Amino acid sequence: MLWLLGAAALGAATPDWEKVSRSPELSFPRDHGAHFSYRTEWWYLTGIVREKSGTELGYQMTIFRRGIDPAASSPGQSALRARHMLAGHFAVADVAGKRLVHAQRLRRVDGQLGVASEKDLCVQLESWEIERKADGSLSVRAADGEAGVSIDLQLSPSKAIVAHGEAGLSRKGAEEGNASVYLSWTRLATRGTVTVGDRKLEVSGESWFDHEWGTSQLGPGVVGWDWLGLRLADGRELMLYHLRDASGAPIPQSGGTLVERDGSARRLSLGDFSMEPIGAWRSERTKANYPTRWRVKIPSAAIEFEVEPLLADSELDSRATTGIVYWEGPVRLRGAATGEGYMELTGYAESMEKKL
Amino acid sequence: MGASSIDKDSQKGRSVFSALWNAAVLKALFWRPAARKPLRLFVTVLGVAVGVASVVATIAASRAAVRAMREGVSEVAGRARLEVTRPGGLEESFLARLRPLTDRALVLPVVEELALVPELGDSVRVLGVDLAVDGAARNVNFRGEFVEAAMPSGSDLFERSLQCEGVLVPAKLASELSVRAGQKLTLLARSRPVEAVVLGVFDPGALATAMDRVVLADVAWAQEAFGRLGRIDRVELLPRAGSDLSALQRDVAAAAPAGARVAAPSVRADSTARMVRSLEFNLTALSGISLLVGAVLVATALATAVVQRRATLALARALGATRGQLAAAVLCEAALLGMGGGALGVVLGAFGARGSLASVRATVAAVVRGVPESAVEVTPAMAAIGVAAGLAVALAASVLPLQEALRTPPVQGLRRERPRVLPRKVILRSAFATALLVGAALLLLQIPAWSDLPIAALGAALALMACVLTLAHPAVDALARAVSRLRMRGKRAPLRIAAASLSAASGRAAWAAGAVGVAVALAIAVSTMVGSFRRTVTDFLEQAIRSDLWVQPVAAETGVQVGRLDPEIVTVAQSIFGAGYVDPFHESMAWIDDRSIALGAGAFDVIGAHGSIPFRDGRSAREVFQSAREGGGVLVNEPLAQRFRVGEGDMIELITSSGTIRKRIEGVFLDYSRSQGAAVLDRAEFLRLYPDDGPESLSIFVPPGMTPEEGRARLAAALAARYRVEVRLNREIRKEALAAFDRTFAITSALQLVTAVVAVIAILAVLSALVDERRRDLALLSALGGERWQVVGVVVAQAGFLGAIGVLLGSGAGFATGWVLVKVVNLQSFGWTLQLLPPWGALGGIAAAVVPACLVAGLAPAAAASRLRPAELLRDDD
Repeated sequence: MLWLLGAAALGAATPDWEKVSRSPELSFPRDHGAHFSYRTEWWYLTGIVREKSGTELGYQMTIFRRGIDPAASSPGQSALRARHMLAGHFAVADVAGKRLVHAQRLRRVDGQLGVASEKDLCVQLESWEIERKADGSLSVRAADGEAGVSIDLQLSPSKAIVAHGEAGLSRKGAEEGNASVYLSWTRLATRGTVTVGDRKLEVSGESWFDHEWGTSQLGPGVVGWDWLGLRLADGRELMLYHLRDASGAPIPQSGGTLVERDGSARRLSLGDFSMEPIGAWRSERTKANYPTRWRVKIPSAAIEFEVEPLLADSELDSRATTGIVYWEGPVRLRGAATGEGYMELTGYAESMEKKL
Repeated sequence: MGASSIDKDSQKGRSVFSALWNAAVLKALFWRPAARKPLRLFVTVLGVAVGVASVVATIAASRAAVRAMREGVSEVAGRARLEVTRPGGLEESFLARLRPLTDRALVLPVVEELALVPELGDSVRVLGVDLAVDGAARNVNFRGEFVEAAMPSGSDLFERSLQCEGVLVPAKLASELSVRAGQKLTLLARSRPVEAVVLGVFDPGALATAMDRVVLADVAWAQEAFGRLGRIDRVELLPRAGSDLSALQRDVAAAAPAGARVAAPSVRADSTARMVRSLEFNLTALSGISLLVGAVLVATALATAVVQRRATLALARALGATRGQLAAAVLCEAALLGMGGGALGVVLGAFGARGSLASVRATVAAVVRGVPESAVEVTPAMAAIGVAAGLAVALAASVLPLQEALRTPPVQGLRRERPRVLPRKVILRSAFATALLVGAALLLLQIPAWSDLPIAALGAALALMACVLTLAHPAVDALARAVSRLRMRGKRAPLRIAAASLSAASGRAAWAAGAVGVAVALAIAVSTMVGSFRRTVTDFLEQAIRSDLWVQPVAAETGVQVGRLDPEIVTVAQSIFGAGYVDPFHESMAWIDDRSIALGAGAFDVIGAHGSIPFRDGRSAREVFQSAREGGGVLVNEPLAQRFRVGEGDMIELITSSGTIRKRIEGVFLDYSRSQGAAVLDRAEFLRLYPDDGPESLSIFVPPGMTPEEGRARLAAALAARYRVEVRLNREIRKEALAAFDRTFAITSALQLVTAVVAVIAILAVLSALVDERRRDLALLSALGGERWQVVGVVVAQAGFLGAIGVLLGSGAGFATGWVLVKVVNLQSFGWTLQLLPPWGALGGIAAAVVPACLVAGLAPAAAASRLRPAELLRDDD
C-alpha cells in the first residue's frame, strides 16, 4: 500500500494513464504480471521465518513500479527510455539481535537491469527478483553486500489468491477512479536461506504476498495509513487498513478482508472492525511517533487481539528511492486470537499532506 | 676591510661562503664590470631567461593540457572505480549480463559524445548517464535542488530529464552561453545540429574544471541524439561498500564481451596520457634547445668576463686571494646570471604558456579526442625548476671559464697569454675528447628508444654538438698556424699578424669560435630537421592528397575537428558522385598485445583506383590496395611498423571490438599525420567488426564531367538542410596542411635568429678582450708604421677567422646532429622516415650571415684598437 503515496506525488494523474473504476476481469497468469497502462503497481512480500535453533527473522521485500511516460514507444526511440521506474525495498528484521537491516534499489524498466514481465509474475530489479515458477511457487531473491543481508526463498501458496474489495476493486477514496486492483496470497509456506552478516541460516516459515496496481488511488485529505496483514494461528488471515485524514480518523473507504480456512474471503467495511492504538514508539532519528501497538476487534467474527511489534524500531528511511519514511515490521498477536504478521504505518514522519 | 679579511679567510681555509660574501672581491670582480657593461649583463640574463621561459612555457602548457585530459577522465568518472569499455561501444544488453553483480556494485551505463557548440567555438562532452541512479556516482548539484537519485520527490526537472526532454548544463557553461533553463542549445554532433532544450543548470561544485565542458543528459536521450540506439559507450561500476574490487573486476571481465576492457577509469587516463607523453617530451626537448643556446650565452659571457678580468684576477691572487675566493667570484656571477635569468624566464614562461596553450592543446587534441579546457598553472615547483634550470645552466657553463681563471698562474695572468705553440698534449687531449664524444654518440645511436622516447639519440646529438667545443682549440691553432705559414708581406701582413695573435691567444679564441660553432651547429641541425621534414611532408601531401574534395566535421576554434560525419553523409555523397568515387575514412581503436593502436578503414577499391598513398617500399597504391583487397590484408602506417617491428608480408594479430583477427601486412604506408601506430582495413571488413558510427572524413574524387567546384556546390546543397560540414578543395587542404606545419615549427625560425645573435655577442665579447690584450702588439704595429687600416684589418681579420672556424666546425657538427635528429630521433619518437634534405640553403644562409656578422662585430673592437695611442701604451708596461 505504500506506493499510494508515490502515486499521488505528482498530483492528479494525467488522462493518459488508465484508471481503476470497476471490478477487474482477472486472468491469470497474465494479471500476476505488470500492468503498464496503470501508473503504479507493486509486488509486496513479508514473512516471518525461523531457523531450527529458534532464531526468528522477519523479512520484507517489495518491488514498486511507477510509470513516468504512458506513451508507447515509437521508432527511433531508445529502449533505455525511462518510461517506468522500479524501486525496491528490502529489509530483514533480526528479532533477537533487535536490528532491522534494509537496503533499497532504483532502476528504470529497460529490459536489462529493470525487468517487469507482462505475461506472468517476473520482476527483476538488478539482482533482486520475484518470480513465479511453472509449479505455481514463488522464488524470491534479494541481497545487498553493503547491508550484509540476503534472502533466497521458495514460497508455496497455501490458499488461492484473494481479490480484495469488490472482486479485486479496492476503493481508496470517494471519487470515481480513486481505487486500485488489490490481490493477495495471504499465506505461503516458506523455506530457504537468509543471510545476516556472517550467518547463513536455513529457515522456514510463512509469508504474505500483495499485488496491487492502479493510477490514482488516494483521495484528497488522506495523510497516511495503518495497515495489517496477519496470519491467525487458527488458519485464518486478516488484512485491515485505516486511511487516515488530517485529524487521524479513518476515512470511510478504510476496510479489510478476512480469509477463512478454506480460502473464502469476506470483505470488511470500516464499521465491521475497530483498530485502536494502545502504545507508541518514538523514532529518535525522525522524531516520528508510531502507534506500534493496537487493539483490534471484529465482533462479527468474534476476533479480538492486541498487536505488538517484534522489533520496535522498524522504521525504514527510503527517501533515496521512494521519498518517504515509514514503519514496516513484524508483529505478534496476543489475546483471544494469536498469530503473526506484518504492520505498515505511514504518514507519521512527516505530514503526507505536503506530498499530496 | 679588503686585504685583512682575505688574509683571515686564507688562513682559515676555503670557506666558500665567507668568500662569497667578501664584498671587496665581489665588487672588483663582478659588480664593477657588470655596472660598466650593463647591456652585456642584460643580454646574458635575457639569453638565460629566454631559454628558461621557453622550457617553462612548454612544460606548463603541455602539463595543463595533459592534466585537463586526465581530470576529464577521472573526475568526470566520479566515484566509479571500474569501467568496461570497447571501441565502437557495447551492446546495451551487456547491462543484463552484469545483473548478478549488482549486489556488489552500482552499474552505470554511459554514452559519451563530443559535440561542437558553434556559439562557443569549442567542443563539449555530452555525457548520457542513467540520471535516476547516477547521482550516487557523480554527485552533481542541481541549482535549487539536489538530485540524489530521488525518485518521486516531486522533481519536475528530474522527471523531464528522464523523459528525454533535454539536457542539463553546468553553471559556468550556461553563463558563458547566457542560456537559461527552458532555452535551447545547439550541439553539433556527427555534423548534425541537435537542438537541445536546457532543462536545468547544475553546479559541478568541486569538479568545476572537469565538468565545465560537460553537458549531462539521460542515457536514452544521448542514444537517440547521437545515433547509438541499442548501444552504450561504456559501463562504469561503483563498488558497494565492502566489496572486493579485484574479485569484482575479475567477474566483470568474465561477463564482458570480446574486445572489451575492464579497468579503472584512471587506466584510460593513463593510456591517453601515455599517448601524449612522447608529444610532451618532444615539445620539451625542442624547447630545451633554447636553453642550450642560453647556456652558450652564459658560457661566452663568463669566459669573456674571466678573460677581461684576467689582470684583476691575477692581481687578486698575487695579493693573497685564494683560488676558492676567485672560484666563488666566478660562480657567484654565474649564479646571479642564472638565477636572474631563471626568475625572469619563469615570468616570461608563464605568459608564454598562456600564449602557447591553445596550440599545445590543439596538438594534444590531435592525438586524444575531447581535451577539456584548462588553465595554465605555473606552480611554485615549476617556478623553482625554472630558476634551478637557469642556475644549473649558468653554473655548468661556468666550469670551463672557471678552469681558465684558476689554472692561470698569477704571473702568466698578468703577462697575458703569450705566443706559443699549442702543446702536443693539448692537441692529443682534444683529439681524445673528440674521439670519446663521437664514440659515445655512435654508441648511443645503437640504443633503441626508451618507451618511445628517443633519449639516447638526443644524448648522441648533444655529444656530437659538444665536439665543436673540443675541436675549437686545435682548430683555431691550426688555422692560425696555416695562415702564418703563408708567404704574406705588405698588404697581407695584418692577416698574418691576426693569425699570429689568434694562435697566441688560442685558448680564448677557441672560446669565441666554440660559441659561434655551437650556435651555428644548433641552427644547422634544426634547419636540417625542419627542412627535411617539410620537404618530406610537401612531397607526401603532393602524393597522398589526390582527392578533389575533402569533407570533414566542423572544427573547433583550435582547428581540431569535432566528432565525426553522420553515416548518412556517406550515402548522400555516394548518390551524387557514385560509390566508386567516395572514400570514407573511418577510425576506431584496436590493440596489438596490450598496446592500443588506431584502426582505420577506407574504401580500398576507390583509393586503389583514384588515390595514391605513398608506400614505404615504393610500390604503387593501385598495386598494394588491389592485393590488400584480394587477400583481405591490412595496411599499416610507418609508425606502427616501427613500433612493433613488423614489415610487409608479416602477420599481425589485431584485437578488435569483435575479437582477434590475424592479418597479413600488405603494405606500410608513409603517414606524417600521426605518430601513433595505425592499421587500415577495407571499409567493408571494418564495418563487419565495428558499428558504423560514421567516418572521420570523406575523400571524394569528382567523376569525369564535373568540376570540383561543381561537386562541392552539389554536395553542399544536398547536405545543407540537415548537416553542417566543411568541404574543401584539394588545393585548400594542401595549403592548410602546410600552413599547420609551418605554424608548428615557427619556433625554429626564431631559433635561427637567436643563433645569429649568440654568434654576434660571442664575437663581440671575445674580440674586445683580444684587442684589449693585444694592445701592445697593435701599438707596436702602429709605432712601426702600420697604417690605421692595417690595425683595423688585424682585428677584423681575427673576427673573420673566428667566424669562419665557428661556421666550419658548427656546420660539421650541425650536419651530423641534424642527421641524428632526422634519421634517428624522428624515427624513434614519431616512427617517421624522413628524406634527409642537406641544409645547403640554411648553411649558405648561416655562413652568409654569421661570417659578415662576425666581421661587423669585429669592427667595434677594431675601431677601439685603431684609436689606441702607441706612445702611451709602449711607455707603460702595465
